[in-house]
Amino acid sequence: MTSTYAADLEVRNLTRKFGDVRAVDDVSFTAPSGLLTGFVGGNGAGKTTTMRMIMGVLAITGGEVRFGGDPITAGDRRNFGYMPEERGLYPKQPVLDQLVYLARLAGIGARAARTEVLEQLDRLGLADRAKDHVEKLSLGNQQRVQIIAALTGKPRALILDEPFSGLDPAAVDGMVDMLREHTARGIPVLFSSHQLDLVERLCERLVVLKAGQVVVSGEPAELQRAGRVRHRLVVGADAGWVRGVPGVHAVDVDGPVALLELPDDATAQRVLALALERDVVHEFTPVRPTLAQIYREVTA
Amino acid sequence: MSTMTEPTTVAGPAGDGAQRPDEAAGAVENRHAWVLVMNREIVVRALNKSFVISLLVTIAIIAGLSAFMAWQATRTEAFTVAVAPADQVAVTAVEAAAAVGADADPEVTVTLVDVADEAAARAALEDGSADAWLHPSGDGWTLAAMGEPDSTLVRLLSTSVSESVIAANAAEAGTTMGALAAGSELQTDQLDGSGIGAQTAFFAGYALAFLFLMGAVGSGQMIASSVVEEKQSRLVEILATRVPLRHLLAGKILGNSVIAVGQNVLLASVGLIGLSFTPIAGLLPVLSTSLLWFIAFFLVGFVAVAAMYAVCGALASRLEDLGSTTTPVMMLMMLIFFVTFTAEGVFQQVLSYVPLASIVSMPVRVLSGDAAWWEPVVSLTILAAFAALAVVVCERAYRGALMQTGGRVTWRRALTAQA
Repeated sequence: MTSTYAADLEVRNLTRKFGDVRAVDDVSFTAPSGLLTGFVGGNGAGKTTTMRMIMGVLAITGGEVRFGGDPITAGDRRNFGYMPEERGLYPKQPVLDQLVYLARLAGIGARAARTEVLEQLDRLGLADRAKDHVEKLSLGNQQRVQIIAALTGKPRALILDEPFSGLDPAAVDGMVDMLREHTARGIPVLFSSHQLDLVERLCERLVVLKAGQVVVSGEPAELQRAGRVRHRLVVGADAGWVRGVPGVHAVDVDGPVALLELPDDATAQRVLALALERDVVHEFTPVRPTLAQIYREVTA
Repeated sequence: MSTMTEPTTVAGPAGDGAQRPDEAAGAVENRHAWVLVMNREIVVRALNKSFVISLLVTIAIIAGLSAFMAWQATRTEAFTVAVAPADQVAVTAVEAAAAVGADADPEVTVTLVDVADEAAARAALEDGSADAWLHPSGDGWTLAAMGEPDSTLVRLLSTSVSESVIAANAAEAGTTMGALAAGSELQTDQLDGSGIGAQTAFFAGYALAFLFLMGAVGSGQMIASSVVEEKQSRLVEILATRVPLRHLLAGKILGNSVIAVGQNVLLASVGLIGLSFTPIAGLLPVLSTSLLWFIAFFLVGFVAVAAMYAVCGALASRLEDLGSTTTPVMMLMMLIFFVTFTAEGVFQQVLSYVPLASIVSMPVRVLSGDAAWWEPVVSLTILAAFAALAVVVCERAYRGALMQTGGRVTWRRALTAQA
């Protein structure tokens, strides 16, 4: 297995029907190699269904999944790290044994699997629990074991459904570091999450799903730029005059503070010049929408 | 119908055909996955405490029964019968019983004790110097004892008393016992020489039916719960991305077959070793042959049973559903158990060819010497064909049901499911 295997994961026109319901409807996006791609959407938006189709756990009604430019194969998937939505391990089998078993099913040799699993357990502070039955671990630790199951064996892509749910902030940071190591190897990482602040902080790419369809996809910064940029103007006296300036939409004026929507940079400069003519200007700043705001706007 | 590991692309620009060659390549890389699954099943099962304990208890029961039979056989049965010397018929009868008893079993002795009258007889019974008192009563004879007279003694004496009375009556009528009884004896002759009595055959049949039930249901339930464990925890989603589900099923069936057959070989061996210490040790060769056939039939038949139980596991969504999803198969196993050990004659001959029932019935027929050499071979072939068919059907149902969550899945839905 190459450690620097670089291949994009592409989803093209993916569709899944359950009876007459299109749970996933013509979804297309790319999770580029070497990047963290966040998969966002409300409950029932189709994230899990899409991920299950990518992993071949659920049959595809239409469209296709491509990996490294070719249609994805069972062999590709075998080398993917996958974390399903509902966590599960063998409750009555020792941690080490079942992690080694899962790694060996992915085609890793017995000794290599054992060494790597022990390393990972050590890293996540679970080395002394290696011989314990999974059911004896706390939920957080079970989650860690699940993560190790997905990350063992230098996977060629990671498909993680809600990997951060149930982790405390320190554990989230530790996990993020681990995921970064994998993107540094040049593999694509696709993860779903409800925690928008986390996605905003982590992701190089973002795909927003609503009712089975992609509403937005791209880099977070790009999305923010594409969103309507507003300006906040704070002057010495009442700012009511801005309502009369042609081309300016005053979203809100409250005494000396105004929130404006300006169509272009020239208008912005004109407004600033007018303000300086009239009064002192305490503040004139562009206000970029947060990802959460964009998310609410596009999924509204 | 599509498989879980090879989703069908219905409307994609690069359709189904484009995916096939690579899918096949992936499957080739994975061709030993079933071995890993099988090993896990065996290890997990062998370390399962309740399994180990119930196996040890069963071994202890079989060993205990053999020991009891061996002890029973070596035990001397000595009877002392009190008789008034004046009752000539009774004296003759007890002497005859002693001779017959010693003839049939050297460990049985019948001794005569003289008592003067009823009071002396009662005293002898009370102080234990006599086990029973044979005396005339009304127009017949009575055997009295403290409590119920021993059945062996009753059997011996009822024959000898009646012979002795008839002999006396014959003498009175001016003829002899020999003349009266001439030509009345029924000879038995066993033409097929297995030397197994009907009773032995029945008990052997019961033992085999029991081994079948215990192995099939015990290991079957293990498969079902191991399948639903993976389904309930969604672990199966991870497994399905790494291993073709066919391998997963094959590994489970084979791993649990190894355990089930191993358990039966162990129990049968303990039983045979135990029997070698009992009076029917002479039957060991024919019993062993029958047991070997049983093991062979069980080995083949259990594959079908295991496949059915795997589907039962996949039909359930939670461990709690197993009770209801396994009921039909459980009923089938119980039916086979009861029918096979009670069957006789033509019905048994038919059963010995019916898949699953033949696992018990054919070895029993081999034991009683009523099956020709080719019969078990033919029956085993039929069983193998049935097992192959069961695996094909069950594999489809297993795959169909495994990814369906939310309540119980029916066989029909499992067989027609699109993943």
